[in-house]
Amino acid sequence: MNISLPVFSIAGFFLLNMAASAGDPAVLDDRIKPVEYYKDVRGSIVFKTYCVLCHGTKADGKGRASKNYVPEPANLTVSTRSDDYKEKIIRKGGVGVGRSPFMPPWEQELTNEQIRDVVYYLKVINIKYLDKAKGL
Amino acid sequence: MIVKFCLFAFLALIPLHSMAQEFTVDQQDKSFSEPKLTIKVGDKVHFKNSDPFFHNVFSLSDAKTFDLGSYPQGQHRTITFTRPGRIHVECAIHPQMKMTIEVKE
Repeated sequence: MNISLPVFSIAGFFLLNMAASAGDPAVLDDRIKPVEYYKDVRGSIVFKTYCVLCHGTKADGKGRASKNYVPEPANLTVSTRSDDYKEKIIRKGGVGVGRSPFMPPWEQELTNEQIRDVVYYLKVINIKYLDKAKGL
Repeated sequence: MIVKFCLFAFLALIPLHSMAQEFTVDQQDKSFSEPKLTIKVGDKVHFKNSDPFFHNVFSLSDAKTFDLGSYPQGQHRTITFTRPGRIHVECAIHPQMKMTIEVKE
Protein backbone atom coordinates (compact mmCIF):
# COMPACT_ATOMS: atom_id res chain seq x y z
CA MET A 1 0.00 0.00 0.00
CA ASN A 2 2.83 2.32 0.86
CA ILE A 3 4.62 1.43 -2.38
CA SER A 4 1.64 1.93 -4.72
CA LEU A 5 0.89 5.48 -3.58
CA PRO A 6 4.05 7.07 -5.08
CA VAL A 7 3.57 5.01 -8.24
CA PHE A 8 0.05 6.36 -8.72
CA SER A 9 1.27 9.86 -7.93
CA ILE A 10 3.95 9.71 -10.62
CA ALA A 11 1.56 8.21 -13.17
CA GLY A 12 -0.99 10.87 -12.33
CA PHE A 13 1.61 13.60 -12.79
CA PHE A 14 2.44 12.41 -16.32
CA LEU A 15 -1.23 11.98 -17.24
CA LEU A 16 -1.98 15.52 -16.10
CA ASN A 17 0.96 16.84 -18.09
CA MET A 18 -0.11 14.98 -21.22
CA ALA A 19 -3.65 16.27 -20.85
CA ALA A 20 -2.40 19.80 -20.32
CA SER A 21 -0.08 19.73 -23.33
CA ALA A 22 -2.67 18.13 -25.64
CA GLY A 23 -4.36 21.42 -26.23
CA ASP A 24 -1.20 23.48 -26.46
CA PRO A 25 -0.33 24.20 -30.11
CA ALA A 26 3.30 24.93 -29.28
CA VAL A 27 3.78 21.49 -27.78
CA LEU A 28 2.03 19.84 -30.69
CA ASP A 29 4.21 21.70 -33.20
CA ASP A 30 7.27 20.46 -31.40
CA ARG A 31 6.14 16.86 -31.42
CA ILE A 32 4.70 16.63 -34.91
CA LYS A 33 7.30 18.24 -37.15
CA PRO A 34 6.07 19.66 -40.45
CA VAL A 35 7.39 18.03 -43.61
CA GLU A 36 9.62 21.08 -44.23
CA TYR A 37 11.45 20.35 -41.00
CA TYR A 38 13.16 17.32 -42.54
CA LYS A 39 14.38 18.96 -45.73
CA ASP A 40 17.98 19.03 -44.51
CA VAL A 41 17.79 15.27 -43.92
CA ARG A 42 16.30 14.73 -47.36
CA GLY A 43 18.88 17.08 -48.84
CA SER A 44 21.69 15.13 -47.22
CA ILE A 45 20.39 11.94 -48.84
CA VAL A 46 20.37 13.59 -52.26
CA PHE A 47 23.87 14.93 -51.64
CA LYS A 48 25.22 11.56 -50.52
CA THR A 49 23.68 9.84 -53.55
CA TYR A 50 24.62 12.24 -56.34
CA CYS A 51 27.17 14.81 -55.22
CA VAL A 52 29.74 13.00 -53.08
CA LEU A 53 31.50 11.54 -56.11
CA CYS A 54 33.07 14.94 -56.81
CA HIS A 55 32.34 17.11 -53.79
CA GLY A 56 33.14 14.45 -51.17
CA THR A 57 31.28 13.20 -48.13
CA LYS A 58 32.31 16.33 -46.22
CA ALA A 59 31.33 18.59 -49.14
CA ASP A 60 34.89 19.90 -49.12
CA GLY A 61 35.51 19.18 -52.81
CA LYS A 62 37.60 16.09 -52.09
CA GLY A 63 35.42 13.39 -53.63
CA ARG A 64 36.96 10.28 -55.16
CA ALA A 65 36.66 11.76 -58.67
CA SER A 66 38.03 15.17 -57.74
CA LYS A 67 41.59 14.27 -58.76
CA ASN A 68 40.42 14.23 -62.39
CA TYR A 69 39.40 17.85 -62.52
CA VAL A 70 41.08 21.20 -62.87
CA PRO A 71 39.84 23.30 -61.20
CA GLU A 72 38.91 20.94 -58.38
CA PRO A 73 35.24 20.63 -57.44
CA ALA A 74 34.09 23.42 -55.14
CA ASN A 75 34.47 23.23 -51.38
CA LEU A 76 30.80 23.76 -50.58
CA THR A 77 31.34 24.30 -46.86
CA VAL A 78 32.93 27.68 -47.57
CA SER A 79 30.88 28.69 -50.59
CA THR A 80 29.73 32.32 -50.64
CA ARG A 81 27.29 31.76 -53.49
CA SER A 82 23.57 32.46 -52.99
CA ASP A 83 20.90 29.79 -52.85
CA ASP A 84 19.61 30.97 -56.24
CA TYR A 85 23.05 30.53 -57.77
CA LYS A 86 23.42 27.06 -56.26
CA GLU A 87 20.01 26.07 -57.57
CA LYS A 88 20.94 27.32 -61.04
CA ILE A 89 24.25 25.45 -61.23
CA ILE A 90 22.56 22.30 -59.95
CA ARG A 91 19.81 22.59 -62.55
CA LYS A 92 21.89 23.72 -65.54
CA GLY A 93 25.29 22.26 -64.72
CA GLY A 94 28.62 24.06 -64.89
CA VAL A 95 28.13 24.96 -68.55
CA GLY A 96 24.87 26.72 -67.67
CA VAL A 97 26.68 29.25 -65.48
CA GLY A 98 29.96 29.45 -67.37
CA ARG A 99 31.89 27.18 -65.06
CA SER A 100 33.36 23.65 -65.20
CA PRO A 101 31.77 21.49 -67.90
CA PHE A 102 32.30 18.50 -65.63
CA MET A 103 29.50 19.60 -63.30
CA PRO A 104 26.49 17.81 -64.84
CA PRO A 105 23.03 19.37 -65.22
CA TRP A 106 20.72 17.72 -62.71
CA GLU A 107 17.31 19.16 -63.53
CA GLN A 108 16.24 16.10 -65.51
CA GLU A 109 17.36 13.70 -62.81
CA LEU A 110 16.28 15.41 -59.59
CA THR A 111 12.81 16.62 -58.69
CA ASN A 112 12.21 20.27 -57.78
CA GLU A 113 11.86 19.18 -54.16
CA GLN A 114 15.17 17.30 -54.23
CA ILE A 115 16.93 20.34 -55.68
CA ARG A 116 15.45 22.64 -53.04
CA ASP A 117 16.34 20.13 -50.33
CA VAL A 118 19.96 19.82 -51.40
CA VAL A 119 20.30 23.60 -51.66
CA TYR A 120 18.98 23.85 -48.10
CA TYR A 121 21.40 21.11 -47.00
CA LEU A 122 24.28 23.08 -48.55
CA LYS A 123 23.16 26.07 -46.51
CA VAL A 124 23.13 24.25 -43.18
CA ILE A 125 26.58 22.68 -43.68
CA ASN A 126 28.13 26.00 -44.67
CA ILE A 127 30.69 27.24 -42.14
CA LYS A 128 29.13 30.71 -42.02
CA TYR A 129 25.72 29.23 -41.22
CA LEU A 130 27.22 26.98 -38.55
CA ASP A 131 29.15 29.89 -36.99
CA LYS A 132 25.98 31.98 -36.94
CA ALA A 133 24.08 29.12 -35.32
CA LYS A 134 26.78 28.93 -32.63
CA GLY A 135 26.58 32.69 -32.11
CA LEU A 136 30.11 33.31 -33.37
CA MET B 1 68.01 4.22 -98.07
CA ILE B 2 66.16 6.60 -95.75
CA VAL B 3 63.27 6.84 -98.17
CA LYS B 4 63.02 3.05 -98.34
CA PHE B 5 63.08 2.80 -94.55
CA CYS B 6 60.32 5.40 -94.17
CA LEU B 7 58.23 3.64 -96.78
CA PHE B 8 58.69 0.32 -95.01
CA ALA B 9 57.78 1.84 -91.66
CA PHE B 10 54.69 3.48 -93.16
CA LEU B 11 53.55 0.25 -94.79
CA ALA B 12 54.19 -1.64 -91.59
CA LEU B 13 51.91 0.71 -89.65
CA ILE B 14 48.95 0.39 -92.00
CA PRO B 15 47.92 -3.13 -90.96
CA LEU B 16 48.16 -2.18 -87.28
CA HIS B 17 45.90 0.78 -87.79
CA SER B 18 43.39 -1.19 -89.77
CA MET B 19 43.26 -3.81 -87.05
CA ALA B 20 41.82 -1.35 -84.53
CA GLN B 21 38.10 -1.90 -84.06
CA GLU B 22 35.27 0.35 -83.01
CA PHE B 23 32.55 -0.59 -80.56
CA THR B 24 29.35 1.15 -79.55
CA VAL B 25 27.92 0.99 -76.05
CA ASP B 26 24.38 2.30 -75.77
CA GLN B 27 23.09 4.11 -72.72
CA GLN B 28 19.41 3.30 -72.49
CA ASP B 29 16.92 2.96 -69.63
CA LYS B 30 19.62 4.13 -67.25
CA SER B 31 21.94 1.24 -68.03
CA PHE B 32 24.86 0.45 -70.31
CA SER B 33 23.93 -1.96 -73.11
CA GLU B 34 27.05 -4.02 -72.38
CA PRO B 35 27.75 -4.89 -68.76
CA LYS B 36 31.16 -6.16 -69.87
CA LEU B 37 33.11 -5.51 -73.05
CA THR B 38 36.39 -7.06 -74.12
CA ILE B 39 38.49 -5.08 -76.59
CA LYS B 40 42.10 -4.75 -77.69
CA VAL B 41 44.61 -1.96 -77.21
CA GLY B 42 43.96 0.72 -79.81
CA ASP B 43 40.23 -0.01 -80.09
CA LYS B 44 37.69 2.79 -79.84
CA VAL B 45 34.45 2.75 -77.89
CA HIS B 46 31.55 5.06 -78.69
CA PHE B 47 29.21 5.75 -75.80
CA LYS B 48 25.82 6.70 -77.23
CA ASN B 49 23.07 8.31 -75.19
CA SER B 50 19.66 6.95 -76.23
CA ASP B 51 17.80 8.15 -73.15
CA PRO B 52 15.75 11.37 -73.20
CA PHE B 53 17.95 12.89 -70.52
CA PHE B 54 21.63 13.55 -69.88
CA HIS B 55 24.18 10.83 -69.27
CA ASN B 56 27.82 11.02 -68.29
CA VAL B 57 30.68 8.57 -68.76
CA PHE B 58 33.73 8.44 -66.55
CA SER B 59 36.28 6.07 -65.05
CA LEU B 60 38.67 6.33 -62.15
CA SER B 61 40.48 3.09 -62.98
CA ASP B 62 44.28 3.07 -62.95
CA ALA B 63 44.35 1.60 -66.45
CA LYS B 64 42.40 4.57 -67.82
CA THR B 65 41.12 7.61 -65.98
CA PHE B 66 38.74 9.79 -67.96
CA ASP B 67 35.55 11.81 -67.94
CA LEU B 68 33.72 12.25 -71.22
CA GLY B 69 31.40 14.83 -69.70
CA SER B 70 27.61 15.00 -69.75
CA TYR B 71 25.64 14.93 -72.99
CA PRO B 72 22.00 14.69 -74.11
CA GLN B 73 20.00 12.17 -76.13
CA GLY B 74 21.30 11.38 -79.59
CA GLN B 75 24.87 12.41 -78.86
CA HIS B 76 27.84 10.17 -78.26
CA ARG B 77 31.37 10.44 -76.96
CA THR B 78 34.31 8.37 -78.15
CA ILE B 79 37.42 7.20 -76.38
CA THR B 80 40.41 5.16 -77.49
CA PHE B 81 41.96 2.68 -75.09
CA THR B 82 45.73 2.71 -75.39
CA ARG B 83 46.76 0.53 -72.46
CA PRO B 84 45.77 -2.96 -71.37
CA GLY B 85 43.83 -3.42 -68.16
CA ARG B 86 40.41 -3.53 -66.59
CA ILE B 87 38.43 -0.31 -66.66
CA HIS B 88 35.34 0.28 -64.55
CA VAL B 89 33.05 2.72 -66.32
CA GLU B 90 30.32 4.68 -64.54
CA CYS B 91 27.79 7.45 -65.08
CA ALA B 92 28.12 10.33 -62.62
CA ILE B 93 24.45 11.25 -62.98
CA HIS B 94 23.11 7.74 -62.44
CA PRO B 95 25.25 6.02 -59.81
CA GLN B 96 23.63 2.64 -60.49
CA MET B 97 25.04 2.59 -64.05
CA LYS B 98 28.24 0.57 -64.21
CA MET B 99 30.12 -1.53 -66.75
CA THR B 100 33.58 -3.03 -67.22
CA ILE B 101 35.89 -2.85 -70.20
CA GLU B 102 38.66 -5.40 -70.42
CA VAL B 103 41.45 -4.12 -72.65
CA LYS B 104 43.76 -6.88 -73.88
CA GLU B 105 47.17 -6.63 -75.56
